[in-house]
This record gives sequence, C-alpha cells and structure tokens, in this order.
Amino acid sequence: MAEFHKADIEKLIDGVLPWPATQDIIKSPKDSDRFDKYIEIMQERVTFKETILLPLTPMLFIVSADGARVVKCRCGHDFGDYRTNWKLSSLIHVRDDEASLGEIYKGREMPDPSWTQLREYICPGCGSQLEVEAMPRGCPPDFEFLPDLDTFYSEWLGRPLPDSVASEDKTLETIADWSAAK
Amino acid sequence: MMSEPSLKEQLAAYEALFEKTGHLYGYESLARKESDPGTYEAVWHILSNICNAAWSVGCMASTSPVAAEGGDALWALHTPTGDAICVSRGITAHPGLLADMIKNFIRLGYEDHPGFENGDIFENNDPHYGGIHTPDFDMCMPIRYKGKLVAWASSVTHVNDVGMAQPGSIGFLNPNVFADGLTFSMEKVGESDRYYPWYDLRIRSRTRTPDYVLGDARGRLAGCITIRERLFEVIEKYGLDFILDASKEYVEDSRRYAVSRVRTQAIPGRIRKSQFKDLAMKGKRVLDPSQDIDCLFNLPMEMTVNADATVKLSLRGASGTVPFGQNISPTALKSGLLNGYSHIVGFDMFNSGPTASWEVEMPPSGSWANPFEKDFFASSGVAWAPAVIWMSSLYEVFGRLFQMRGFVEEMAAGAATTMTAEFAGQTQLGMYLASLTLEQASNGSPARGYADGENSAWCIYTPNADFGSAEVIEGYLPIMYLGRNIEPDSGGYGQFRGGLGHTAVWMIYGTTGIDYQCGCAGMRSKVLPNHGMYGAYPTWPDRPSYAHDTNLKELIDAQKPLIHERGPAEDPTITRIITARQMEDAAIAPFITPEPLQNYDVILHPVSGAQSMGDPITRDPISIEEDLNKGWTSRRVAEEIHGLVVKQESERDFIVDVAASEKRRQQIRAERIAKAVPFKEWWAVERTKIEARENMDEAVLHMWRTSMELSPSYGEELLAFWALPDDFVF
Repeated sequence: MAEFHKADIEKLIDGVLPWPATQDIIKSPKDSDRFDKYIEIMQERVTFKETILLPLTPMLFIVSADGARVVKCRCGHDFGDYRTNWKLSSLIHVRDDEASLGEIYKGREMPDPSWTQLREYICPGCGSQLEVEAMPRGCPPDFEFLPDLDTFYSEWLGRPLPDSVASEDKTLETIADWSAAK
Repeated sequence: MMSEPSLKEQLAAYEALFEKTGHLYGYESLARKESDPGTYEAVWHILSNICNAAWSVGCMASTSPVAAEGGDALWALHTPTGDAICVSRGITAHPGLLADMIKNFIRLGYEDHPGFENGDIFENNDPHYGGIHTPDFDMCMPIRYKGKLVAWASSVTHVNDVGMAQPGSIGFLNPNVFADGLTFSMEKVGESDRYYPWYDLRIRSRTRTPDYVLGDARGRLAGCITIRERLFEVIEKYGLDFILDASKEYVEDSRRYAVSRVRTQAIPGRIRKSQFKDLAMKGKRVLDPSQDIDCLFNLPMEMTVNADATVKLSLRGASGTVPFGQNISPTALKSGLLNGYSHIVGFDMFNSGPTASWEVEMPPSGSWANPFEKDFFASSGVAWAPAVIWMSSLYEVFGRLFQMRGFVEEMAAGAATTMTAEFAGQTQLGMYLASLTLEQASNGSPARGYADGENSAWCIYTPNADFGSAEVIEGYLPIMYLGRNIEPDSGGYGQFRGGLGHTAVWMIYGTTGIDYQCGCAGMRSKVLPNHGMYGAYPTWPDRPSYAHDTNLKELIDAQKPLIHERGPAEDPTITRIITARQMEDAAIAPFITPEPLQNYDVILHPVSGAQSMGDPITRDPISIEEDLNKGWTSRRVAEEIHGLVVKQESERDFIVDVAASEKRRQQIRAERIAKAVPFKEWWAVERTKIEARENMDEAVLHMWRTSMELSPSYGEELLAFWALPDDFVF
C-alpha cells in the first residue's frame, strides 16, 4: 500500500504538485490513510474548531457540533442539520432573464430563459459561490448528497461515531414549516 | 457418461450461483489467480492484445471512413455464456450490448436451432431485441475448440448509412421505428466464415452506401476470425482448462475490483443529480407533421451507494418518449452506463464484471429510457443521445464522492456534449456519400480535482479520442478545412476549467449539392448543463453556424481575408466577413440545412469543451494570465467572471495585477452577498411563479407533466417542495 506525505497531498489539492509526482499518486495503489490526512489538512484550513466528519465539498463540511451534525462553510457559517438540504439555508441569486444571463453568457452563448434558469448559491458568511444549478423552472434544488455517516464510520472505517442518527432526508420537513407559516 | 449441460442451463445455473453466493459463477475464491498469478496476469494481457489486434485488422479491412479513419468500432472476447472477458479499444459503450446479445441468442434456444458452429455469423442491430440503434451492427461468432464451445468473439461497427428515412447514421429525425432503416433482428447471417449471399443483396438494395456497409461487415468478420484463430494458439499454449477457468475469474475479479474501489474510495449514501437536454425542432425541416414541436428531456439520476458497496441507480422522474429517434431501451441504457462506469470506477479489467455490482432500477415505463412497453414503435434512431447526457452526471457524481474521501486525483467534473456533423450528397469524386465526420470524437476533458481538463483530447464514448486527419476527411467528403481551432472559453468557468473544445471551419467544395446534418448524439442548444459543480459556471449551449450561397469565391479571387475561426460571441467572424443569401450565426441544433449546400458555402461546427469545477473567483490568476496569452480565454471573462485586474501590453501580452485582483475578488464576494436573497424568500416568490407557469416554455411544461405522470412519487415530492396543491398539473 502506498503512503504519501501530507505536504504532497496538500500540493495536490491546490493543483501545484509537479506532474511527475501527481502521476505517481495516480498510478500507485491507493493510500489507506488518505481520508484521515485529507481531514487533517481541511481541519487546519477551516476557521472553526468543531471536528470535521466529512468534507461534503471543498468548501462545505459536515461537522460534529455539540452532539449535532451540521453543515459548515470553511468560513464557519452554519447551514444546519446535514439531513436537510443546506441550500435552504443559503443565499441564492437566480438568473432567469436575458439581462442577468447575459452577464455570463454573451451573444450566441445565451441559453433560453424560458427553458432554463441559473441558480447561484452564495455563502452568507464569506460570499463564496458554493454551487451553481442550471434547471428549468419547477425543479427543486438538487440535494447532492445525503451520506450514511454511521455506516461509513462503523462498517467502512471500523470506528463507529459516538452517537448515531437515522440517515433520512429532512428537507421537506423544513418546507412544511415554511408552508405552515405562509 | 453425463452430457454437458446446455448453454441455457449453464446460464441459469450461473445466475442462481450469483444470487446465492454474491460471486459470479459462485467463485468465492479465484483459484487460478491465487495458484499462478504470473500466468493469470500474462494471459489477461495476451487476450486483451488479441482484441486490440482484431480492432486494427477489422478497422483496416473495413475501409469505411467511420471505421478506417475514426476507429468507431469494437471487438470483444466472451465466455461461453456471453459475459465479456476483455475488450478492444474503440466504442466502449458496447460490451454490455454484445454480452446481452449472446445471452439472448442462448435464451432464445438458438443452440438447438439453428445451432452454434465455428464459422457461424450472428447479428442484431434491432433496438427491440437489445440493440442501441440500427447503424450499430452487433455481431458475434461462436468459437468451438475440438468440438466444445469455449468462447465467443463479437464486434460492433457504426455503419455510414443503414437506410433510415434520412440519409446517414444519426437518426435524430426518425419519427418512429419504421424510419429506422434496415434491421437484422437476432439473425444468423452467415456460416463457414462467409456471409450469406442474400445478406449482401439486402444491404445493396436497402442502404445508400452499400460498399461501405459491406466493408464494415468484412471488417467485423476479419476481426472476429482474428480473435478465434489467436485464441486457439493461446489454448494450445496454456491449456483449455486454464483458459476456461481464468476467463471467468477475470470477470469476477473485475466485479470485485469495482466493489472494492467504491468501498475504499467513495462514501455510502444517496446522491441526486438533475439533468436536462433539449430537442428544439419547431419550425425546422422534419419528416412528419407530428415533429413540429420542441422537446425537453428530464434525465434525473439518483444513485445509492449501499452499505455493501453495491450501487443502485434510478431514473425516477424521466420524461416521456419523443416522436424522434431519441428513445433508448433499458438494455442499451445499461450498456451505455457500463461505458461511463468503466471510466470512473471499474477500469482495471474492462469487462462484464462491474455490471454485476450495480442495479439499475427499471426506468419508468413510457419514458425515453423505457419506451417500448407503451410505445412499441418509438424510434431509437440515435438512442445514445439522451443516455449520454444522463451518463455525464455519473462523472460529477463520482467526482464528488472521491473528493469526500480525499482522492482528488480521481475526480472529474461533468462531460462535454456530442454534436455530430454528417453529410449526404454528391462528393468531389461524383459518387453519392452519406457519412459522419469525426469531429465530435475529440472533446475537451472534464476538469480534474487538481487541474484543468485537457483540450480536444477526450470523448465520452471512446477512450481513444481521435477527430481524424483533416486531409483524409477532405478525401472522403466535398469539404475543405479553413480552420480547426481550439475554441476559447468553451470549458466553462471555474477554479479548474474543463478542457476546451474546438471549432471546425469548412468550405463546401466539389459537389453539386450536399446536406449538412448537424446531428444530436447527446447535445444541448437551448439549455445549459446542470454541471455547476462547486460553484462553477457550466459550458454554453451548442450553437453551430453556416452560410449558404456566399461571397466566399469572390473573397478568394480577390485574395481577401477568409474565415478561419468563430470569433467573439457578440461579434462573430462569419457575419463580419461573409455575405450570404442564407446565414445562421447561432443556429439552434440539431437540424438539417433547409436546402442542400453548394460550393463555397461555409460551416462552423463547434465541438464542445467539458465542465469546470469550483468558484471562478478562486481560479489561479497566473493560470488565467496564461490562458489570456494563449488566446484560450477573453479579457471580458478574466475580468468579469474571474474577477481579475488585467493590463494589456499588446495583442498576446496580458499581465494580471495579482494584488489588485485579490482586492477585486473580495469586493465581488461582498457584492454577491448584497445581491443574493435568502433561499426562503426566493422560494416564496418562485412557487407563485411556478403556480402561474410564468415564463415556462410549453416544452418545459410538457416535460414536467410526463415526468410526474410516469413517476407519481417524483411528482409528489416536487409538489411538496413547492407547497403546491395535490391536484396541481403543469
């Protein structure tokens, strides 16, 4: 089993590892401690102290916070329970007409605004553009990933988390609350 | 003495063993691998090389432009019960189809009648029996050694013309199956290594380019005979028992590899990715009045990685069939998926193994992905088109999983599209030709987790991306290349950008008239890809240009500048340089030119780049400076989308002010926060717009209606999300 230096993994993540070394990583059998090293690197890069359980994206992390599992941005902004689509706690900017789409796509590049809208999800804490969706009106936002964290830690990594929670999608519960408050 | 079970009995027994043990053929251990790993590995490479030798022999024997120049073909070796053991280079969407075809021949009882003998040739290109679309001729030959059936050789080639209603092989315009052309429906088409005479006669009377179609048949046969003869040599050297055992172990080994890769490099859970593709045909040249419509496809992907590292895929929510050639059978869809999965997960030994580790839920009956139960005569003229866009999601989905585990070197963003260029008419040699160019086989590759994608070096359906030599293509077709350029900014905008695509600039020359068929084998022209991974902007829609009845000859005679590239999106070169009776500078594809093109007409055919990943304002300023100085991005994109402060010393001498750019980027972050609204606030307004169907094209509304009707649970979730009444209908 291969083993790579944490410093090289950091360079790889940042896209600055020289190509021969990158090729070496690509071609070698995978390093079994990669996840732990990756978490370690990310933990050093975030502004919060809570333990990262899973890097959901390069910017968003599921963390253990006072017994709860919540999604946090690198900047520390809290998006709430990981079982509810974090986009519901995000800022959103939607381009659904020629003027706003035209800021990105010019002339022949312009999509048809009656067929598609561009949704930009912005972190309220740091202004990072976290995800962009291109969807026709009516499409609910993608809940990209609902991990089965307990299975992952207990069965795949062999080190169960201290507590366990049911891996169920809670997004519609939030919607129901909003709907009731309408 | 007990007689050997029939192939049908063996197939059933293997299925039962897999069900019982979870291991293919019940192989809980890999005895040959464990006892003699060196020979096991060596024979694998020998068998792989045999398949690649078949590819070289077959493509050269074929002589058709698609196979000989494009290599758009594939050969494979199979176990006696049909599983693909190993596969050549070429169009890797097909091993699943070829394996299923052999199994179908076995299940249909062909072993008893007409029997499986050395030299027999069987074919299928009929989507109703597992084919993908009629131009892809799937073929197989049984291999008997000393009387025993020990393997199968198989092949597929993509023929130039299969006698569809419209010339060529990308049958996007076919309104129904009756326009899909010549079919061979699970047929025995030859014996003793020769096609039957009537096979030749059918092709001559029912296709427009019979010499090329028969050339492909010759190529398939030559490749399969190559496999058979060389396999005999391998059996003589290593022994029949070893080959029979090891062949099955390679398949089970590959299944184990795919499962283990998911377990060690991914995360269990549920992943969702919406995806859409358009087919806007209203007002265009069509074959049937029912086709004067615009369509939008819903191509949702829900993937569940289970605790045992098996994978389940669902198409719940897929929209309905279309009166065009863009419907695909579940069998063909699964084979196409094997192609994508093999790129991303199970690529150590490419064969049937990984398919056993995942389950594809039967797509909604009556959807584009399962058409025949409700619309038996739906066309599959270019079935690959919606499937390939769906498959693009698989790259991003697994890219996300690999990131979470820290394996950024395995990540990919979404794929590029497949927009074809096909010509039908008289060539410069005075002969009739209907043929694809190969431009589409050289997209940009997806952005990686550590770097940009590669330019013009990737193709979703073949690992050996190759757009062919311009000079050779000019020999086949009445076109001359005025340009073949990397297209700036065609890989989306992100921290790491997709590899850029290219644009071919053609002048028609040497014909009395030729149709340009800008075909859809998986492209978008009205909507954007839903591939804004980690905050990137996706690639723009596919928009070709052409000019008919032009002033190009006058420009040549006067030795004035010609057209060699597309130019800026808002100031296209074609409108600056060319005058024409008919001009489209941003045509909505796909289409066939309303009139045949003539000499000195111009086409600009863009081949797309792939998708980006990451917030565009986090892209390394120096990488952008390099792109600027290579002409791969524009100053507008650098400044307005990447947030750079740029100085220009001369045409190709841009300098980025890094410190000023950092300040500008901070400012952009603040502007974003000020401009955006809380999601809840947007949701409250948006749901009223949805309820009022505000600014929703009829194609969008029709898509939602069929998606919700065919998958009620998908519809219920959509209504619940927007808090719409239970009886709401789009």
